[in-house]
Amino acid sequence: MTPYVLGIYESRYFWTHLAFSDLRSKWRRSFLGVAWSIVQPLGLTILLAVVFGKMFHQNIVEFAPYILSGMITWDFFVATLTGGSLSFVQADAYIKQYRHPLAIYTLRTTLTNLMVWMMASLSLIGWVLVVKPQSFGWCWLAAPLVFPLAAFMAWPLATGLAYIGARFRDLPHALTLVLQAMYFVSPIYFEAQMFRNGGLGALLDYNPIYHLLEIVRAPLLRGEWPTAANFAMCVAAAAFFSALAVVIGRSAERKVIFYL
Amino acid sequence: MTGNGIRLDKVNLHYSLAAFKERSLKALITGAFAASNARPAVHDIHALKNICLEIGPGERVGLLGHNGAGKSTFLKMVAGLYPISSGSRYVQGTVRSLFDLSLGFEPDATGRENILYRGLLLGLTPKFMRSMEEPIVAFADIGEFIDYPIKTYSAGMQVRLAFAISTMVGGDILLLDEVIGAGDANFMQRAKARITKLIEDSEILILASHDFGALRDICERVLVLHHGEVKFDGTVNPAISEYKELTGASA
Repeated sequence: MTPYVLGIYESRYFWTHLAFSDLRSKWRRSFLGVAWSIVQPLGLTILLAVVFGKMFHQNIVEFAPYILSGMITWDFFVATLTGGSLSFVQADAYIKQYRHPLAIYTLRTTLTNLMVWMMASLSLIGWVLVVKPQSFGWCWLAAPLVFPLAAFMAWPLATGLAYIGARFRDLPHALTLVLQAMYFVSPIYFEAQMFRNGGLGALLDYNPIYHLLEIVRAPLLRGEWPTAANFAMCVAAAAFFSALAVVIGRSAERKVIFYL
Repeated sequence: MTGNGIRLDKVNLHYSLAAFKERSLKALITGAFAASNARPAVHDIHALKNICLEIGPGERVGLLGHNGAGKSTFLKMVAGLYPISSGSRYVQGTVRSLFDLSLGFEPDATGRENILYRGLLLGLTPKFMRSMEEPIVAFADIGEFIDYPIKTYSAGMQVRLAFAISTMVGGDILLLDEVIGAGDANFMQRAKARITKLIEDSEILILASHDFGALRDICERVLVLHHGEVKFDGTVNPAISEYKELTGASA
């Protein structure tokens, strides 16, 4: 196990380079370039906020950052997990030439999407500062913790999926379905209170996505510190997914090259 | 002498091909109507059989064998890319391998960028690669194209650049698999000189080749592989006659 982690550290130049090069190629020859990662969620948020605001008679200005925070976080997971499940297939040219720990290729996907998410967050911060400046305070210091916590949840999960995805190419399609289901049972667009009112509180309390979102939403939207339970659930989920990845990887790591 | 070396004991290697069996819905439905022997079954391939050998410092070893005898598999097993299914594999020393040279280029990035990327893939630092950039550009000698995206390159140019990068740094153990196919005559000549230098700098060389002349020039020990087994292990000339006999018999 230790040599494996050491291998990830030793190849750090390689995977950071891969992540940055993914970002570059994503925006190559586009006029707005990296600004798209801010414009895209912002545009969709405005659209949704107007529609939802009319439908549910909610205050658009207050409701919009709620949607935006949910959407950019969820986008990170969808992109990392669906992209991650094909990470090894995508990196086959490297895997066939040089023996790096395979987890660096899912780490690459995770990092790329993490950076996109960070950029998208700028629009959220800007919006909140304009419409709800009263929530600004010390508790905002807790919000950036969402990035490492989410990364350590998504990376092992993507790694586990990539082992399976290398062999079973049905996985990305099935995953899209599962993620869509997850999205409906998570408070991404709909307010958490709506779940509780409907007697579906368990969908929040045992849902790591809810707790992860609270780490951003509590400080930015309500000016409160996230609770210890929020952090505990995220760490527990990260530990669980890591254990899962280790269990799958123990037998799958060496065989992946045969399936590419 | 350092402790670099290779020790293989009863090494077996199976290619796992289970994943390539058709398990699709389409295959299931068409299979129900087709004759039962319509599709040949896919079995795991026993690519290396019970290989026991030791290669010490200073040895220059050639690999000889028909297509599919297991030469490339042997090299990739030594490089640690393919997992062995039983036995023990012990390799001490940094391994540098030249297999599929033009794999792993990023087509949208320029030649210069790809020099850096390739170096990082090989586990080198960005600082070191920047210091190596000029010699690599000079050796590849593809003019202004070095600043163009790789996808604008001809096949020959890609090979030249790949070769220039991959041969810039040597290792204790050098694995060569019938390298250098493309490039014009002038480049071939410089490539040969470069390979010779790499070989001289390496402590152990394993070269898979069908070129008897190259084997005679470079190697003093040759392994003849036949259907995954080591049929002969000894000096060059007897190995070549053994190989001729084996392929002549099986042809």
